[in-house]
Amino acid sequence: MELVNNLILGFGVAVAPFNLLMCLVGVFLGTLIGVLPGVGPVATIAMLLPVTFNLSPVAALIMLAGIYYGAQYGGSTTAILVNIPGESSSVVTCLDGYQMARQGRAGPALAVAALGSFFAGCVSTLIVAAAAIPLAEVALKFGPSEYFSLMVLGLVAAVVLAHGSVLKAISMVILGLLLGIVGTDVNSGVLRYAFGISELSDGIGFVTVAMGMFGLAEIVMNLEHTGVAREVFTGKKLHLWPSKEDFRRSIAPVIRGTLLGSALGILPGGGALLASFASYTLEKKVSKYKHEFGKGAVEGVAGPESANNAGAQTSFIPLLTLGIPSNAVMALMIGAMMIQGIAPGPQVMTEKPELFWGMIASMWVGNLMLIVLNLPLIGIWVKLLTVPYRILYPAILVFMAIGVYSLSNSPFDCFLMALFGMFGYICVKLECEPAPLILGFILGPLMEENLRRAMLLSRGDPLVFFQKPISAGFLIASLILLVIIALPAIRKRREEAFVEA
Amino acid sequence: MRRLLAAAALLVAAPLVAAQTPSTGSGPSTGWPAKPVKLIVPYAAGGPVDVSARILAAKLQDALGQPVVVENKPGAGGNLGADFVAKSAPDGYTLVMGAIATHAINPSLMGTVPYDPIKDFRHVALVVQVPNVLVVNVDLPAKSVRELIEYAKARPGKLDFASGSTGSTGHLAGELFKTMTGTYMVHIPYKGSAPAVADMLAGRVHLMFDNLASALPNIKAAKVRALAVTTTKRSSFLPELPTLDESGLKGFDMTTWWGVMAPARTPQAVVERLNLEILKAIEAGDVKDLLRAMGSEPGAIRTPEQFTAFVDSERALYARLVRQSGAKAE
Repeated sequence: MELVNNLILGFGVAVAPFNLLMCLVGVFLGTLIGVLPGVGPVATIAMLLPVTFNLSPVAALIMLAGIYYGAQYGGSTTAILVNIPGESSSVVTCLDGYQMARQGRAGPALAVAALGSFFAGCVSTLIVAAAAIPLAEVALKFGPSEYFSLMVLGLVAAVVLAHGSVLKAISMVILGLLLGIVGTDVNSGVLRYAFGISELSDGIGFVTVAMGMFGLAEIVMNLEHTGVAREVFTGKKLHLWPSKEDFRRSIAPVIRGTLLGSALGILPGGGALLASFASYTLEKKVSKYKHEFGKGAVEGVAGPESANNAGAQTSFIPLLTLGIPSNAVMALMIGAMMIQGIAPGPQVMTEKPELFWGMIASMWVGNLMLIVLNLPLIGIWVKLLTVPYRILYPAILVFMAIGVYSLSNSPFDCFLMALFGMFGYICVKLECEPAPLILGFILGPLMEENLRRAMLLSRGDPLVFFQKPISAGFLIASLILLVIIALPAIRKRREEAFVEA
Repeated sequence: MRRLLAAAALLVAAPLVAAQTPSTGSGPSTGWPAKPVKLIVPYAAGGPVDVSARILAAKLQDALGQPVVVENKPGAGGNLGADFVAKSAPDGYTLVMGAIATHAINPSLMGTVPYDPIKDFRHVALVVQVPNVLVVNVDLPAKSVRELIEYAKARPGKLDFASGSTGSTGHLAGELFKTMTGTYMVHIPYKGSAPAVADMLAGRVHLMFDNLASALPNIKAAKVRALAVTTTKRSSFLPELPTLDESGLKGFDMTTWWGVMAPARTPQAVVERLNLEILKAIEAGDVKDLLRAMGSEPGAIRTPEQFTAFVDSERALYARLVRQSGAKAE
């Protein structure tokens, strides 16, 4: 009953005209950047952070969340129509979706993708809503020691989250931690790593780092791939609706994909990408039409598309209930919340129920909007692909520079963003993931603050972290995760999983 | 996409463009103000200083007949914005909302600041005063200041007091309290007042000297117990609440404040006109109501000269407190 009341509260917030508008803006932008290859939700959310300052926290988060799951939709559109995965999570959709399009069945492929995603969106919204209440109980028990241990877990998870080398991931986390402690120390007021630059005395801005590392670096990366042929044949979109046969074959994959995606989305490092791959593998294994996979099997679109959308939604669970980001987008969402003065953590849902439930309800509303938006707009999206980068990228750069300058009316931040853009590009070249760095950057200062506060309160007794059951639980979980990373057999499997991805 | 980006860019740029004012160097004659006046807030948008600056600016521009544009220049505890104005042309077109931190505490706390809080400024008018209030967790048996002192004396080093940051008025008030009462409590600094209040509500810390504006809702809801205000005069928000001075800590007087300041050598005529209009603005009913809704009281100082004397005495007070508390950043 409480769940129903909460959802009613949530929908009340979500359908407020302005929030509805922000949701629409979010999913529209999300679809847009999902369609544009090379501009992902992480870069977009990073770029739009300054714009959200003037919004209410609810409206800001609704919009940013809309961008994220909107991008999952948009990404599949281009994957199917032009074989370009707009998002990493729609890589799998290319395999069979594009083949379907070549057979003149782009319409059914798009429709199945949209309907499957919508179903997944509805189910996972309910899952998010149901999982939240039990976790709310825990909220009040969170003090400095619990927060510290939680963040240890978050950082360990950040290493698991990284693709590729564990060593590189750990290095990036540590670099992030170091960057995070630039500025004035909370306890003593001493300046650290400011090098006499007074602009650094309040620390390095999260938005500046995120825009540089993700936004700028991504644009520079894309400039390397000039002259990629883009084959577009929307003219062949013959049938719009899937046949009865298509529907029959899609139902089971959609349900399996939804469940798989919901489960994987909750795990750190999971989210949409892993979900879509896992679902494709699963469908290929259980399907009666194994021979059709890779040649235009509708299951190969239905399963992964449902899974990536479900995964995108449920990855909000660790963020909203514990304040732990499970991927880079969620890390940016934490940043956005902190900018709005909301300390991420379990207390958000008790102290700001309208924010929490409003956002959950808006996810369902957003999914509904997406399905209404998407089919009629496909033609326009495809035209957009023909805008040359030489026009698109300078425009985005100017927009980013204005955004960063407006943070504190200081040109220093623009230079800093450029610096981090360069650094981000180098990281990509060295195959060092920026996501662990961002997590380290965000969690590091919070972790230090809570560690020292917990130690102050315990008068210097470190056993306090083990005496409190919740705190001890997190530390044990971190230990288990560490062991898992360290075990050679598991490490190999993990690397394989990402190679496949 | 292009159109969209351009529109978005415009959206972001609009307030910036509005804030751009060409600074022609010529000193103002009687014609001041002949162009928009910039009011620098040395803190991020959305905080109490920023909000009150925006309330004031809206009223001032009606009186002056020129736009008064609020611009945020946060950084270095407010020093960046204060320094920017200290080094601006003294023509009356660039002003700063100087605060207790930038002009009284930081110079001692940080050792050096790039400006002289007295000599580099004309202190135009005090805008807002907010008392701090001593609040304790409801489970603490102490019901009065006297009982708190007894309780703390019986448990040296056992009580924790929280504050929004090292060197904040909340911290320094606690240190002054310790010195005056001969008690020993441990200071637990937070990043801002909100998380400190949260931990006090949960009973993880025992007390804090919070500013009245942020403490008031919790006091009214009886979620924390207020014992006294830190000013020598009782607050009109909580008239039954005694002052620390009344409660036996003679001369305990601390207030958080901020006010409009101009670069040194700003013409006397401009300073006087501004002083007049600001006082008129903050005493107008609607502005007063808005300020009071934020838990703050309009400043009660009349002339620029009195304001300068006030800033100077505050600076001396906090130089002493920072030294006593050992809060200085080294």
